[in-house]
Amino acid sequence: MRNIFPRWVNTVPIKLIIALGMTGGVVVAGITYYATPKYTRVGYQPTQPVSYDHEFHAGQLGLDCRYCHHSVDKSASAGIPSANVCMSCHKTIKANSPLLEPVRASYYGEDTDRDGNLSDNEDVNGDGILNRPSIPWLRIHKTPDYVYFNHAIHVNRGVSCVECHGRIDQMEEVYHSKSLSMAFCLECHRKPHDALRPMSEVTNLSWVHPAAPNDESSSANPHADLGIKDKWGVHPPLSCTGCHR
Amino acid sequence: MIKEASNEMPANGRHYWKSLDDLAETPGFKSWVEREFPEGASMLEGVERRGFMKVMAASFGLAGLGFTGCRRPEQAILPYGKSPEELIPGVPSYYATSMPTAHGFLPLIAESHQGRPTKIEGNPSYLPGGGSTDSFAQASVLDLYDPDRAQGSFRKEITNKGDESSVRWKKISSTDSLAELSKWAKEGKLAILADSSFSKIRGQLAKELKDKKVIWSEFEAIDLRQPEISLSRALDQEPLRAIPKLDKASRVISLDCDFLGNREPNSLANARAFMAGRKVLKPTDAKKMNRLYSVESDLTITGGVADHRLRLDSSNFSAFAALLLAEVLKCLESKDNELIEHLLKRGKPALSDLDWVKACVKDFCSKPKKSVVLAGSHLPQDVQLACLAINRALGAIGKTIDYLPSSGNNHTTLTELLAAVENREVESLVIIGGNPVYSVGSSVDWKAILKKAKNSARVGYSIDETSRECDLHIGQSHYLESWDLGTTWDETSTVPVQPLIAPLFDTKSDLECLLAILGSDKSPHDLVKSMHEEIARSGNSFDDFLRLGIHKNAEPTKIDDVDDREALLKTESDGESKSSSGKLDVLLIPDFHSWDGRYANNGWMQECPDPISKLTWDNALLISPVLGLELEKKYPGLKLLPKATMLNEKGEVAPDTAVFESGKQKAPVVKLSLSDDQFIEGPLYVQPGLADRTIVASLGMGRRTTGRVGQGTGYDAYPLLGKDGDRIIEGVTCEPTGEYKILANVQEHWSMEGRAIVREANAEEYAENESFAQKMGAESHSPAIWGNEQSKDLAHKAKTTPRGNSAYEHPDHTHEKSDAFGLHQWGMAIDLNQCTGCSSCVVACQSENNIPVAGKDQVLRGREMHWIRLDRYFSSTKRDGAEIPSDVQVSFQGVACMHCETAPCESVCPVNATVHDEEGMNAMAYNRCVGTRYCANNCPYKVRRFNFFDWNKRDTDELYQGPLGEKNDSLPAMGKNPDVTVRMRGVMEKCTYCVQRVQESKIRVKVKAQRAGKLAGKDGADLTLEESDLKVPDGTIRTACQQVCPTDAIAFGDLSDPTSEVSKWKSNPRDYSVLGYLNTRPRTTFLAKVRNPNKNMPLHVDEPHSSREYHDKAHPVHHEEGHEAESHDNESSEEKH
Repeated sequence: MRNIFPRWVNTVPIKLIIALGMTGGVVVAGITYYATPKYTRVGYQPTQPVSYDHEFHAGQLGLDCRYCHHSVDKSASAGIPSANVCMSCHKTIKANSPLLEPVRASYYGEDTDRDGNLSDNEDVNGDGILNRPSIPWLRIHKTPDYVYFNHAIHVNRGVSCVECHGRIDQMEEVYHSKSLSMAFCLECHRKPHDALRPMSEVTNLSWVHPAAPNDESSSANPHADLGIKDKWGVHPPLSCTGCHR
Repeated sequence: MIKEASNEMPANGRHYWKSLDDLAETPGFKSWVEREFPEGASMLEGVERRGFMKVMAASFGLAGLGFTGCRRPEQAILPYGKSPEELIPGVPSYYATSMPTAHGFLPLIAESHQGRPTKIEGNPSYLPGGGSTDSFAQASVLDLYDPDRAQGSFRKEITNKGDESSVRWKKISSTDSLAELSKWAKEGKLAILADSSFSKIRGQLAKELKDKKVIWSEFEAIDLRQPEISLSRALDQEPLRAIPKLDKASRVISLDCDFLGNREPNSLANARAFMAGRKVLKPTDAKKMNRLYSVESDLTITGGVADHRLRLDSSNFSAFAALLLAEVLKCLESKDNELIEHLLKRGKPALSDLDWVKACVKDFCSKPKKSVVLAGSHLPQDVQLACLAINRALGAIGKTIDYLPSSGNNHTTLTELLAAVENREVESLVIIGGNPVYSVGSSVDWKAILKKAKNSARVGYSIDETSRECDLHIGQSHYLESWDLGTTWDETSTVPVQPLIAPLFDTKSDLECLLAILGSDKSPHDLVKSMHEEIARSGNSFDDFLRLGIHKNAEPTKIDDVDDREALLKTESDGESKSSSGKLDVLLIPDFHSWDGRYANNGWMQECPDPISKLTWDNALLISPVLGLELEKKYPGLKLLPKATMLNEKGEVAPDTAVFESGKQKAPVVKLSLSDDQFIEGPLYVQPGLADRTIVASLGMGRRTTGRVGQGTGYDAYPLLGKDGDRIIEGVTCEPTGEYKILANVQEHWSMEGRAIVREANAEEYAENESFAQKMGAESHSPAIWGNEQSKDLAHKAKTTPRGNSAYEHPDHTHEKSDAFGLHQWGMAIDLNQCTGCSSCVVACQSENNIPVAGKDQVLRGREMHWIRLDRYFSSTKRDGAEIPSDVQVSFQGVACMHCETAPCESVCPVNATVHDEEGMNAMAYNRCVGTRYCANNCPYKVRRFNFFDWNKRDTDELYQGPLGEKNDSLPAMGKNPDVTVRMRGVMEKCTYCVQRVQESKIRVKVKAQRAGKLAGKDGADLTLEESDLKVPDGTIRTACQQVCPTDAIAFGDLSDPTSEVSKWKSNPRDYSVLGYLNTRPRTTFLAKVRNPNKNMPLHVDEPHSSREYHDKAHPVHHEEGHEAESHDNESSEEKH
């Protein structure tokens, strides 16, 4: 009986192994490179229900971050402003802009004629209470459920918003700019002096250390150690209990 | 503010609940909003809902696959339309409120996360309670989110299909049902049957209703006010409430009175005051220790604390009390021979205990004005009277006990009410609270009686036995959803019930129902406000009252003296002891898990082990070993007691297969009958320490109609309850039914086997040798684990973990090479001398740390999840092993993760999921855990708990379905603590020292320091913060178990601060480590227990039984110095379970 298999079959196993190895290698390399927070999160930019322009408000107008995110230095969560915060200005400024309609809808709620009184025909569910729907802002920065990040301690200890959120004051529509992975957190927790600045400059996103070269494109450390770490006794936790509870 | 935040909730909850957006969209939510309440069983099975869920889940799944893309799902953040004042998202707010209980209103502080109540604490402004709570109050927050509560009003509809009639509950709006009530009121002939309450508002409304010719009746199956009524009957005067002042007492004798446990009223204040008198910090304190004599038929936690305990059958208490009084009068040289003669005659059946009584009386007659006698609230009139007489004779009234005149129960009695219904004098009956159909017992035919009434309505928290017999069920609001105002048991304070949330469902409070009947348009809030104005007059404003949560009442008038002689002479002799006649006594007690049945549907309570029997999810008929032996002889096939040896020749455990099933003991079910139609059936459980011929049965379990949790747990003992609420039932026969039941007992082994786990000494020994605890245990034989650093201070030892004499390198916690260092070094000390075993800590921990309920089936497999367990040990003089002892001493020990310095769990974790942090805590990173369970195997204290299932996601009967199982109702998720991770299947968990509270406090202190610096104009490099600015002050952080503890038995704090409370405790010579010879160096240590027995008592022993056991085993007669340590080590390293 003649050979059943042609000659080229002899090299098939080795080719297969090489091909599989290469595919495997590519998959592994791909996953290690792309399936990390650095790639899955950074750049995430959903369309928000209201096209709030941070570049204009925080950048050009110079509104302090804490004007809207007022619980950032008091609470674990920075807080998303309720509609009444927007309306404190927009009752008079651009009061009829169609872009702001969702904000007005949230602010006036069931009070559809917007006269400040809840009449009987407006009270949909008959509870006598002015119900106000929320604006469904989309969450961009999110830590997993088992991570307990606390804004208050970071902001009060001289860690600027910019360290994690990037130059929000230059973003028309906010996007995820840093990876916020565990490695990202630990990098800073290991070397906090790079991130510390005076408390008064925490919300100043364009702040540069006086001693640093006045050139933003420089990759050098923008704000070298001011000695704050030792003076304030900053020892960020490096063990699990710091963030995982 | 509360009103605004809460009132908007139910209608359009979304924008108030940032984290509830998921909830609002889930099919689970929709189904519980829309579901009509089907009758009983079908609701429990949830067949239709399950089908719906599956379809919905599938479609949601497909939708998810197709459209959300590779990125994470979109999640919305929903801010307020208009932010309420004072509310900061992420920061919990606290409100003062109180919980209505059968023994007064319990002042509380409730924690609320963005409007959701999540945790209950005691109100520290109420000084007698000192900020502590009992287990029921802790668990009450779970009731709020009970998916099985009545979620609105329902009308019963009976449809007849042929022979079968089926019952359906049709949901109607609560406004309509209230309108119906007021219609009935207008028609007249209305009667109201309510549970008893300490609400002043309800009292006022009841008065108004009575003026309107409404019949008002109050009924409580377990009436804690019974002693007051007994005294009033005996003395023919107004009712008197006894308020013990145990902080002033140095000798206490308890007649079946569990004043430290939850059976008796005001247990928190009593436990706090009494245990403070047992605190010993230095040898000289030993002399000041109080002494407790306990005479009881059941073994209660009070009996566990007692220095002398006498077992007495329930029917003998009358005689015993008479004898005791006679001996007291004799001892005090009373000349009233006629009375003494009379009492001695009555006391004859108790004469066998005369030696005990004499020695005891002698002791407390030596300190007459510092002694007090307390009687259990179930004891009959003559015992209550004798008790009063003893206190009077001792001169204790006004000193160690106060008698306050109380209002008692002067309403229409239940019997009168039922007669009125029978005679058609009542057309409409409204039953508010309570559960009379379940708890009155079998003497009343409710079906027939309620048929005679034209209308019947039920205001109750869930559809229960009583609702089934009524036409209309009105869902009752939880106390965290309603307004009320009432008094505490001791009448010293008036406290508000303040709602933290608007009713989650369409429910009404009892007050709203009464107001509807009255036809008043006022709201409970108005009434509370005007009542407060009336009470406070020129005092605090209403807002301040709500903030503080307490208003101190004017000092109530107290009774100085009562003439009890005539009444005492009138009491009649019982004759001979009845228990010798072959029949048995049954003592009915409120159940530990469910009290009178009201907490039966609470998973936390059901799973919290009874402190003495350690049973979960069940109640049992407890019998003494003597009776067990007798029954065994009478019914040889009973299989009640396992065979004497449980080890075979090879030394392996060889359980008696006839008695054990799957490693658990089978309990034979017996029938206890009083007559042919009055009987109960329940499993027998042999319990050391019980009176020989008394069977202890608990009321409140075996509910027929309740939610999924309470249904089918335990047996119902109410059929035996006496007509007048009598809880001592005499002349019961007992026969086996031939059936068996497996009980979920979490600690079947009850002996320490001579190991020094709980170390105890008598006060006398302690006074001579305050470091007795150091000389016990195998570490006294093992080389000193600290080596030449033995003498270094605590802070040094905690921070550096010296290697001592160990052969291995020790971890370096100083992190000198890295940047991290521990500013604090956390540690805990538990004073075993203060622990009563009340188990509040177990429930508090469950509530704080999102600990799931595992269910009976899983507890039987040893998978209970409690992070802190309360080990209970019995010790006795008889140590021959074969026989279960009768006279035992009880020791409790709370065991949670010890946070060992050289933790055995850490070295075996392959993925570094459990590691030390810089402040000495043994951290558990859930997201790293892969579930090898090596750590649990290697833990000598057995405190690690593994999530075998997704307890939080799925119902207990769906666990084995895995991902295919039906998901839980999401309602209970609202009560979870948002600061603690909800763990999933496959990860290990354990006590974290409440790390969330620690971190929160640390953050708060640092933020405060920074802000203070900034306010002072310093910033950047100008601002210098010292360590002292950044350290959390001692006492700021209280772990959940510490905060709830009524007796302050737990101290937690910074070991590196020598002035902290915990450092002080740890430097006390009584301090010891459990299994210290393993060189684990636990951060949690224990302070040895000190007992204070009376030398002159019969059967006095010079050292506690457990110490004697230990010394006998450690130094047997043939013991030669130096050889025994090794064998002892092997024995002690056995797992504790």
